[in-house]
Amino acid sequence: MTLFAAVFSHYRRHPLQLLALATMIVVATMLWTGVSHLTYQARASLGQSEQAVAERRKVVRLDGQSVAVADFVTLRRAGVCVMPWLEVQRPNAQGRVVGVDGLAASCFAGAGESAQAWNQPLNGKPFLDIRDAAALTAGPDDRSAELTLLAAEQVSQAALPAGYRLARFSLGPDTGELGESFLLNLDALGVLVLLITALLLRSVYQLGLAQRRDSFALLHRFGVSPVSVNRLLVLEMALLAGLCVIPGVALGRLLAGLLGSGFGQALDNLFDAPLYAGQAASWLSSVLTMMAVVMVVCLIDLIRPVSRAPVTLLAGQRRTLALAVLLFGVVLALVASSLVLVFVAVALVFVGAGLLAPVLMSGLARRLARAAPDPLKRWHFAEFGVLARRLALPLVALQFALAMVLAMQALVTVFEATFDEWLSQRLAADFFVEVPAGAESGLAVDWLANEPQLAASGDWQRVVRGKAELRVSESEPGQGVDLLAVAPVGRLLTQWRLQAASDQPWQAFARGEGVMINEQLARRRQLAVDGPLTLTVAGETLSLPVLAIYPDYGRPAGEVLLNAGLLPAAFKPGFESLSINPGNLDIATVVSGLQRVWQVETVTVRDNERIRELADTVFDQTFLLTRAMTVLTLILAAAALLIMGWVFFSTRVWYYRLLAVWGLRDREVAGQMVRLAVSLTIGIAVLALPLGIWLTWVLVHRINPLAFGWSLPMAVYPAFWVELIGLSLVVGLSIAALMRRQLQQPATMPASASSLAGGER
Amino acid sequence: MTSCVRSIHFPVFFRVLASFLWLFLVAGCSRESEDSGFAGLAESQQTDTDVPFLQPGPGDRLKFPEDFGPHPQHRIEWWYLTANLENQAGEPLGLQWTQFRQALTPRRADATPPAPSQWPLQAAWMAHGALSWRGQHHFAERLARADVGHAGATAQPFEVWLDDWRLSRTGESGRWRLQVSADNWSYDLFLRLNGPPVAHGDQGFSAKSASGEGSMYFSLVDIAIAGKVTIDGEIQKVRGKGWFDREWSSQLLKTGQQGWDWFALHLDSGNKLMTFRLREDGGAFTSGTWITGEGEAVSLSADDLILTPDADAEATPTRWRLQVPRYGVDLDIAAPPGDYRNEGQYPYWESPVSVSGSHSGEGYMELTGYDAK
Amino acid sequence: MEQALLRVHGLAKGFQSGSEQIPVLANLALTLNQGQSMALMGRSGSGKSTLLNLLCGLEHPDAGVIDIDGQRFDGGQASDRRAQARRWADLRRQRIGVVFQEANLMPAMSLLDNVRLRARLAGRDDQGCLAWLERLGIGALGDRFPDQVSGGQRQRAALAMVFAMQASLILADEPTGSLDRHTADDVADELFRLQADHDCALILATHDAELAARCGQRLDLAHPSSSSSPSTSSMRSTRSAPADRQQ
Repeated sequence: MTLFAAVFSHYRRHPLQLLALATMIVVATMLWTGVSHLTYQARASLGQSEQAVAERRKVVRLDGQSVAVADFVTLRRAGVCVMPWLEVQRPNAQGRVVGVDGLAASCFAGAGESAQAWNQPLNGKPFLDIRDAAALTAGPDDRSAELTLLAAEQVSQAALPAGYRLARFSLGPDTGELGESFLLNLDALGVLVLLITALLLRSVYQLGLAQRRDSFALLHRFGVSPVSVNRLLVLEMALLAGLCVIPGVALGRLLAGLLGSGFGQALDNLFDAPLYAGQAASWLSSVLTMMAVVMVVCLIDLIRPVSRAPVTLLAGQRRTLALAVLLFGVVLALVASSLVLVFVAVALVFVGAGLLAPVLMSGLARRLARAAPDPLKRWHFAEFGVLARRLALPLVALQFALAMVLAMQALVTVFEATFDEWLSQRLAADFFVEVPAGAESGLAVDWLANEPQLAASGDWQRVVRGKAELRVSESEPGQGVDLLAVAPVGRLLTQWRLQAASDQPWQAFARGEGVMINEQLARRRQLAVDGPLTLTVAGETLSLPVLAIYPDYGRPAGEVLLNAGLLPAAFKPGFESLSINPGNLDIATVVSGLQRVWQVETVTVRDNERIRELADTVFDQTFLLTRAMTVLTLILAAAALLIMGWVFFSTRVWYYRLLAVWGLRDREVAGQMVRLAVSLTIGIAVLALPLGIWLTWVLVHRINPLAFGWSLPMAVYPAFWVELIGLSLVVGLSIAALMRRQLQQPATMPASASSLAGGER
Repeated sequence: MTSCVRSIHFPVFFRVLASFLWLFLVAGCSRESEDSGFAGLAESQQTDTDVPFLQPGPGDRLKFPEDFGPHPQHRIEWWYLTANLENQAGEPLGLQWTQFRQALTPRRADATPPAPSQWPLQAAWMAHGALSWRGQHHFAERLARADVGHAGATAQPFEVWLDDWRLSRTGESGRWRLQVSADNWSYDLFLRLNGPPVAHGDQGFSAKSASGEGSMYFSLVDIAIAGKVTIDGEIQKVRGKGWFDREWSSQLLKTGQQGWDWFALHLDSGNKLMTFRLREDGGAFTSGTWITGEGEAVSLSADDLILTPDADAEATPTRWRLQVPRYGVDLDIAAPPGDYRNEGQYPYWESPVSVSGSHSGEGYMELTGYDAK
Repeated sequence: MEQALLRVHGLAKGFQSGSEQIPVLANLALTLNQGQSMALMGRSGSGKSTLLNLLCGLEHPDAGVIDIDGQRFDGGQASDRRAQARRWADLRRQRIGVVFQEANLMPAMSLLDNVRLRARLAGRDDQGCLAWLERLGIGALGDRFPDQVSGGQRQRAALAMVFAMQASLILADEPTGSLDRHTADDVADELFRLQADHDCALILATHDAELAARCGQRLDLAHPSSSSSPSTSSMRSTRSAPADRQQ
């Protein structure tokens, strides 16, 4: 125990180092636990939702009509095991709920299977009793509710009564592997956060260890074997990790809880499906993982000396290797076809950049020092080189964090801008009038078409949303896609930006000679312009060429744009509205006209703004988590650099005081400190820029299409770079301020000019 | 998707969903099983609606044909058929069909039911079908919510159905047909009803405890049955006798009553005997009906009946001694070898029995509230 | 009469320790002319380093006056301290060379660059810096970094810095304290030789009586609190007197 006290006495003398180390462990654990907790929960919920949906089939009517309760009764009384599945889209982005009938579901259970403990409470997350779901709807014709009759596995086409057939059922649209990709994104974020925090942790620990080597040498001279010192170090680290990891995990879960609801909303909106169930990951795995990471990161040197010799590289070789890794990563990112490979490429580029950055900075410093005629400048550069090498780990962590923040900001901003532009095209009309339940839109269309003022000065179009089936091949059942049908084809539509188009696409579209598809569908089905597309709409088959591919943001579903004139009479719209630019006509006139032809009391009119607000909410939620995590990581990296800078300067303060002894005035010394610290942080920020820009490119051009199904234009935001550099300036100034405080206290002469006491070069 | 999520089996989801909802239905929100009794039969609290659940009492009378139909203002009721059949080779075959209605919200009999499109949940239906054949017991269970249309009961024309299971009148008076099909067995039986309904207890009010709780209860005790039974694709032509029960109440088991033992016996002498015993802490409430060959029913009280299980207190007793000294009856009742538990939401024992002793015969035995082991 | 480079009257300095004021130096007086050398003797904690710090303005006296190179510094008002600090800085930069026991060199720069830096700070031409290293016998080591040479070589480089800046007053705090006897003697020889050659004043704090004996004057510092004498510092000519042995 006394030996332990001797080993541990370092932290008695430097309690702040202990505090810094403990804080690092707690914060690293918190961040990683937070991310992995959310990922775990999302994965569990996604899995749940997916397994509820995987390879299900439903029974549909041959006549293309929607199924109703009566169909359910007919089928059940014919002995067909079907269960009702009532999806209700709640207003104002509350997400959707699924009403199920647990009693009807009993025939889905395999015979002889005993009930298991896995429980699914009907609490609206997302399942609730179908009666309660039905109560959320306005009535049987409510378009926000959709009844599906799920068929049990044993149901065969032959067992169905006449007038029905089996079809593939999927909850929400076909999102391909997108859900998994999204989670992979989260995993990658978690790994990046873990990497950054591990770097920081290691740097703080190593600094303390370097200062303790003297006392270890002393102990060695007293006859204590290095093995027992190492054993004590392991014990010490295990104790510290144990003490810090548990509160860290608790905080991480708290963080996940705080972000969870917004995150759940984001998932719902992204995947058009209720995904987030909020189950708890186990404590033990989080605690053990972090314990292992902390121990390995801090104590790897105890193992390494054995195998050190063969991996020792000269600085030049290391530079070459780093450069090779970096280049390989860049090339891989260009050619990779799967998300996993892209992430590997990102990891390689980060590793390469992380290895290169300190080498680059100190190499540059050396060159500049050599070239500087003024000895004081030479001192400045020489000292800068030392700092770049000594603070390499926290600097690289800051570089990563800065690059990450920069890329995320660019992604979010470019998405926001693109989304906005896209939304403006989609919301080109000033008003949107919902076609009331039971009303005939044809009457309204006739009325609008015969309104001379509207024809002269305004625009309008009928917009119908619904479902269609995409026929891939004759043998396979159709795949559901969203259907967007519009007519007449006018200025509201033709101003849409198209990603790819055949010659004069709108004219052909207006003649009903083809369809347009969104980017998601094009990517997933590898559909190209002029290629054929076979659709089943309300039982009728349409075979038309693809005229154009249009961008579609914020959701992964495939969509087909069809001239509404081609819709079969039997088609039952999911939602129907009229987009109207009234021009010289007063909207009130239009509304009263519609009320008259529809013979209804009220007509729901929405304006642009409301829809925009809704879209913005969705948008903000989508990026809530990534934003929060990157900003937290940046704060952590900056704080770590501050702590490290402060600790390192405390070992070197003697030499900075020499400047005062040599006659530099206090202000001049302070100026030197500021220049040093600021050039260090600005330097790393500048090095973070290319990394961040490259990461932006990877995000928008590589990861996003693979993860979400749509690509974004690449854009850079130098104003934000300036902000980040400003932030680096603040970090640098804070370090300088800390240094100045230390300079005002009397310095003790370093015991020797060895590398253990701040005398390194 | 990763394999770990695949391991959650889809049918299990629905099975558990079903049991969850059923439990919710029958036990309300308090899930204390010792108070709620078998299938919630000890429920007594009234709901908050202004329409109360009706409680049968000694003055209540039976009304035909209405009482063949549902009683939406009562909490629980059932239609219950047991049959002792044999195939052409003379091998015995036991058969059961039951349909339960469990109400959550009482409704006046003359009230308009809620619209199916609301997917109402005022009541739920549960149907049980079982076959006992060559020592094997086959059981199936169906669940449904009421008022949607795929499950229900009507008095005129008489029909009780849940999905494709149904008991219904076939044109002719006194002729019913029962169709039930499960995964690997099914039956399709024609029933000929002989004799009028037999009212139990006090002209149909059958007390279920000394303190006066009870149910309305009548039976058709003489039913000739013929039809076919399919087991694993093998069709048996069967014929024999059946016993049909109708019973409804809002509380059958008092708090503290643990379960019941019920017997419906066809004696070769032409007499029929129905006996039940409700087990409660420190005793039992026993009652029964003696039916003469002419169809005359005599209520039996606890004083008339001595019912003795031939087993440890813990296990399900499959042999019984039943004595009715007044009629010189001393019967040995035994289930054939095998396990005849219906393993549904609420496991219970339902088996054909053979009768020996002072009289020979056959019949059915139902035992509830025993531990599985 | 030689001109006094340094004249100190009534100098006092104490340190606050909790609520207690611990006197270190009290009513100290000394005079040093150009070309003279003085040894500061005393036990650890007797105030040798404190006095050196006061004499180069790195610390501020509680009382007393320091006249140095024609400039006057005193306890002064707080408002005046800033101006005094600036004058001290200028003095240190151009006139006062300080040599510590160790760590006199910037670790990230070569010996020659260190000397150049010091010379340039003092406003001197750095052309002669290499010559200084050569005069001190380490001319070949100019490109080496401090951690690549021996302790004695580092102290020689420190001396080169002081002479390259053409200090008129050298304050040396145990400059040979961490060197072995032989090297220490060599370094001391160089110090005294150059001091004599360049006619600068030297105050040398040391425990080493032999080294002290080589100085023209000697000042023994006793801890003020450990002595009953009101004046705890004495000044004697040691030129002819035998060197005191340390206790």
